[in-house]
Amino acid sequence: MNHAACRNPVFCLTPPYLLRRIARNGSPAQRETATRTLASDGTFRSLRQATPPSRAPDAGVRGVLEPEGRKRRTIFDVGNTQNLPGRVARTEGEGPSGDAAVDEAYDGLGATYDFFWEVYERDSIDDDGLPLNGHVHFGVDYANAFWDGERMVFGDGDGELFNRFTISLDVMGHELSHGVTQYESGLNYMGQPGALNEHLSDVYGSLVKQYLLGQTAEEADWLIGAGLLTENVDGVALRSMREPGTAFDDEVLGEDPQPAHMDDFVRTFEDNGGVHINSGIPNRAFYLAAAALGGNAWEVAGRIWNATAIDPRLKPDTGFRRFARLTARNAASLYGSGGREEDAVRGAWEGVGITP
Amino acid sequence: MRLKLKTEGGFASFPGLQGPVEIDTEGLGEEEAAELVRRVRETRFFERPEGPGEPPPGAADLRLHVVTVEEGARSRTVRAYEPVEDPALRALIEALDAQAREIRRARRGRGPGGGPVGRPGGNVPP
Repeated sequence: MNHAACRNPVFCLTPPYLLRRIARNGSPAQRETATRTLASDGTFRSLRQATPPSRAPDAGVRGVLEPEGRKRRTIFDVGNTQNLPGRVARTEGEGPSGDAAVDEAYDGLGATYDFFWEVYERDSIDDDGLPLNGHVHFGVDYANAFWDGERMVFGDGDGELFNRFTISLDVMGHELSHGVTQYESGLNYMGQPGALNEHLSDVYGSLVKQYLLGQTAEEADWLIGAGLLTENVDGVALRSMREPGTAFDDEVLGEDPQPAHMDDFVRTFEDNGGVHINSGIPNRAFYLAAAALGGNAWEVAGRIWNATAIDPRLKPDTGFRRFARLTARNAASLYGSGGREEDAVRGAWEGVGITP
Repeated sequence: MRLKLKTEGGFASFPGLQGPVEIDTEGLGEEEAAELVRRVRETRFFERPEGPGEPPPGAADLRLHVVTVEEGARSRTVRAYEPVEDPALRALIEALDAQAREIRRARRGRGPGGGPVGRPGGNVPP
């Protein structure tokens, strides 16, 4: 969805591709999903304006006496080159720069930091106050975002298929969370461990958005990258955690290849063994657990998954089944063995064809 | 000279965007063909390592470019993760990517009633 062209809210909520999609697939649930997605994407922008002012500027390295829970963001403008790091465009505590990508990255990394700190008491990527460096306007018409092991990098998109990658809050949450995985389990970026690495970034990314919007599991859209695709595309987002495989069906982008069940697990050498494809299976399991538990997904399901993400038993080569077993064990140790939480988690994995 | 670009992975990983896009310089205009050949020469394509090397530890969502060049009896495939450090290789990938986008644009324009829009020398498998 293109916000710049979005003067009429009715038009915004029902762009042509969506109408076509509804006409094709037409279930009431899908209709509701699509409408909610577009509405919440607008909500983020208005919430952004209402974000409380940041604390005092702090450009230096944190001393031992400085409090935890203080974020230190620097946003760089790479100036449509690929020469990292680029020039400093906004530092912690500075007001809006007026550059949408710079300010969205600043706010998105801030919202992600706050989520980790307020909900799971995690102090940044390394749980030790690591400064957050976001780099925007990377490359020319660059349609990707990545974590390079030290920093988060965002392209402007090509304007034809993709809007700028900072437009969707969960993109910042997703990339920052790759850093969390790097400092915790170090899940290999290949095959099933790689799909779990992607999965955890999608879980955290979606939860950051749900937390900011105050949405329950039922209210959330469970989409990754809502608002990222332009109105030229037949699609609502990059991925759907609720219904993997349904986020887009477009003549140029192709069909959403994500499976929602182990029966449809994709064996491929591409994309590091399908890390962005098979993540649909654990994504769906997380959604099923959150939906079964009800309420805010970050409170119970999210806590179980976060406990698993930082669990020393989660190894770089852990696959789906062992990960599933760890979530069940963490549900039991957090909420009691044989309780409804453990039942919900086991049921969720069974729902995607994995017996923990 | 025949060139092929495949792009895998990335945060926004789409089946329709990974290609491969294939360009035969014989199907291009003289200037455009010469430009591509020059870019290939600048990368020292047939001498360079096949790559892709190890991405930095912990890195995620990096796209992988797979470039194949065939010239006479010679053929070589080079792989590189983003960000591509070598400016010559980066420029070649960007040039091929620009071709891929033009082909995709033509394909989208070929919708119902739009009539066929072709581009010589380029094709994307359906």
